[in-house]
Amino acid sequence: MNLDLALSENDKMLKSVALDFLKRDAPKGVIQTLQESDTGYTPELWQKVVEMGWLGMVIPEGYGGFGSGLTSAGVLFEALGSGPLPGPYYASGVLSALIIQAAANEAQKQQILTGIVEGTRILTLALTEPEFSLEPESIRTTAMPQGGYFLLNGVKLFTHEALAATDLIVVARTGQGTVGGEGLSLFLVDRQSAGVKVRRLGGYLAGRTFEVRLEDVKVPLGNLLGGIGEGWRPLQQGITQAIPVLCAYQAGASQAVIDQTLEYSRIRKQFGQAIGRFQRVQDWIIEMVNLADAARLMTYEALWKLDTGRDARESVHLAKAAASEAYFEIVTMAHRVFSGISYSSEHPVSFHTRASRALYHYLGDPAYHRQQIAKLLT
Amino acid sequence: MDFSLEYTREQEEFAGEVREWLQANVPPDLAVITDPAQMSPDQWQKRRYFVWKLGQKGWLYPAYPLEYGGGGLNGDLCYVLTVELAERGLGLPPLYDAGVLAAPTILACGTDEQKRRFLPPIFKGEKLTWQLFTEPEAGTDEANQQTNALRSPAEQEYFMINGQKIFVGSFPSQPEQFFLLTRSDLTAERHKNLAVFLIPANLPGIDVQPLDLFVPGTFYEASGPTMASSEGTKHSVFFDDVKVPESYLIGGDHDGWKVVNAALEIEHTGTFAGLIGRNYSAEKFLAQIKQNPQIAQRVKQNPLLLETIVNIYIDAQTERLFSIRNAWQSLNRQSVPYTGPQMALFSKNFGGRFMAGSLKVLGPYSLTADTQWWLDNGIFESGQRSGVCFASGGTPEALKIGMARALGIGR
Repeated sequence: MNLDLALSENDKMLKSVALDFLKRDAPKGVIQTLQESDTGYTPELWQKVVEMGWLGMVIPEGYGGFGSGLTSAGVLFEALGSGPLPGPYYASGVLSALIIQAAANEAQKQQILTGIVEGTRILTLALTEPEFSLEPESIRTTAMPQGGYFLLNGVKLFTHEALAATDLIVVARTGQGTVGGEGLSLFLVDRQSAGVKVRRLGGYLAGRTFEVRLEDVKVPLGNLLGGIGEGWRPLQQGITQAIPVLCAYQAGASQAVIDQTLEYSRIRKQFGQAIGRFQRVQDWIIEMVNLADAARLMTYEALWKLDTGRDARESVHLAKAAASEAYFEIVTMAHRVFSGISYSSEHPVSFHTRASRALYHYLGDPAYHRQQIAKLLT
Repeated sequence: MDFSLEYTREQEEFAGEVREWLQANVPPDLAVITDPAQMSPDQWQKRRYFVWKLGQKGWLYPAYPLEYGGGGLNGDLCYVLTVELAERGLGLPPLYDAGVLAAPTILACGTDEQKRRFLPPIFKGEKLTWQLFTEPEAGTDEANQQTNALRSPAEQEYFMINGQKIFVGSFPSQPEQFFLLTRSDLTAERHKNLAVFLIPANLPGIDVQPLDLFVPGTFYEASGPTMASSEGTKHSVFFDDVKVPESYLIGGDHDGWKVVNAALEIEHTGTFAGLIGRNYSAEKFLAQIKQNPQIAQRVKQNPLLLETIVNIYIDAQTERLFSIRNAWQSLNRQSVPYTGPQMALFSKNFGGRFMAGSLKVLGPYSLTADTQWWLDNGIFESGQRSGVCFASGGTPEALKIGMARALGIGR
């Protein structure tokens, strides 16, 4: 058998470069500022990431990328999750890049993917709406052909990174079908277009999620991605490939929280001894380690299946159900161990509190993915 | 990373050889056992003979050195053997045998003479071993041994053993030898007062009595490809002035704690069986939901049960991945000390959750051993009984202590 659970030499190097980058360019104070900002990045940081080539990990060489494969992208985002480094790197360089590859025609790919790699374009997916759901029936946004344009109307809600983005991938209804994504199309919408109104949603734990209103937005015919009414299938393909990379970010973040908690439980003393000596405290830490290890293994198995062309649907649902839940629970358990000190918004655990909540529903929450598993089991 | 467990060409060739040999040597009427405590003497004899044949072939302990009667096979080929046996519902070894603990311990702590004397009979399937560690007052507190092995005042090269072991052994048939933990010094401090022996089971003064227990062994063992090695009937063993020569002592007469910890680490580490990564009981549970109209109807009528089903599925996947990881670590000599107790802890707790969940989902069908109405030859009935058994190989609470220690926070 070829079983090998070690990282390849290249991936080990990638991981170490990414961790060095975090230490040097995105220490504690920077993470906090970035989390609070509307775009999640600074131009200097963005440029550095572009120069490392990290926005082209999943983009083939023919489009200016590096074609490193999803597993390597997972390794990178697992490392970045330990920050947790905020920003539109995943939304643009992974999720959107994969959707564009699945949906767009050749000319569009040349133009858009090159822009993503070079960092001149930042894309994000505008999928969910006020009836928050990943099911196609929930999409009410319409796109009507009118003259040389499509006219888009609707509201996208809980869109991640919309203010960082130069372009939105908008899922809209071009036909009346209601079954299995029939009649849904994908559009690349310039965020600066007239009629696009973006508003950040308040809430300490809401992350950078936005309401995007589309009011008679004129989108050129050439910005239709793929066939008309045929957007749902490539969208699902791109999302399925992208999910485990997000899970890797959550797994890396979870491990960082565990490392901090272990360290604290060794130095914090109460009743004259390190709190890690108390079995009640150990119970939480053991549970944290178990959740994180399971999520990480599920994530890398899903990535491996995708990279080797195996059927990965079940593994992808499993990975996201586990990784979202693990990150959420691990942070909560860390707060039990740290208690008072971790409620400060300057405390590193609090960065993870925000990220774990904000990413919980991104591309499907555990309830959604568990439901998909249930469908496969019954 | 590569999660692939598919055979290479070399493995495929060896698998052909193994299948042919198994076809010729597994007794055709060897039953698949769901409750080892119910195994008939006739079935036990068939299994015992098969174990001997496997041992003579070198495939009972395939990873161990040829010079001591092992198979001398590499990890890839040991994996093939494990898979091919599992395909027939057989574990490796296919009977309870604490040789799996005694042999590596002897390799690590025994003298050269002891290796030559003790290892070949274990590896060749000639002697089965019971692990005799647990006592009435030494359960989780394993160091609190009350069974004394004291040097005979008259003959210093002999030990006199007196005391009682409990919850040990397997089927209602005696093994050839005991892997025994004792107290060798009444005054030395804790952990420095112990000694380990490998002794014949038929010495004068030894009395073995079966216990009347309703649990058939941990469900984890009864569920996986190792089901046939699950432990079945447990016993008390009494020692009354049992005289043992010094040549049966493994390690020094005050080194027992070191020796026993080498064994316990092995008990909690992954094996080749872990690579199979399948939980046959969970597979049978999920098959009931898809294929048994009565169960499918229950689930349809009460959608709340779906949550329980998905929980069991996710747990089973976690168990599979942990066991593959541990096996890979041990094959590659990777040391991550907490993963051993983590795996054992997870499996035990999952066993409990699995049985609680299958009680809900499968309903009263999961409780009956009635041959007309049971499910899957009663594996859920025996499973429900095991669902309350957390002791074997260390309670979850004890495993947590080990895990916390390995994480650098516990004592």
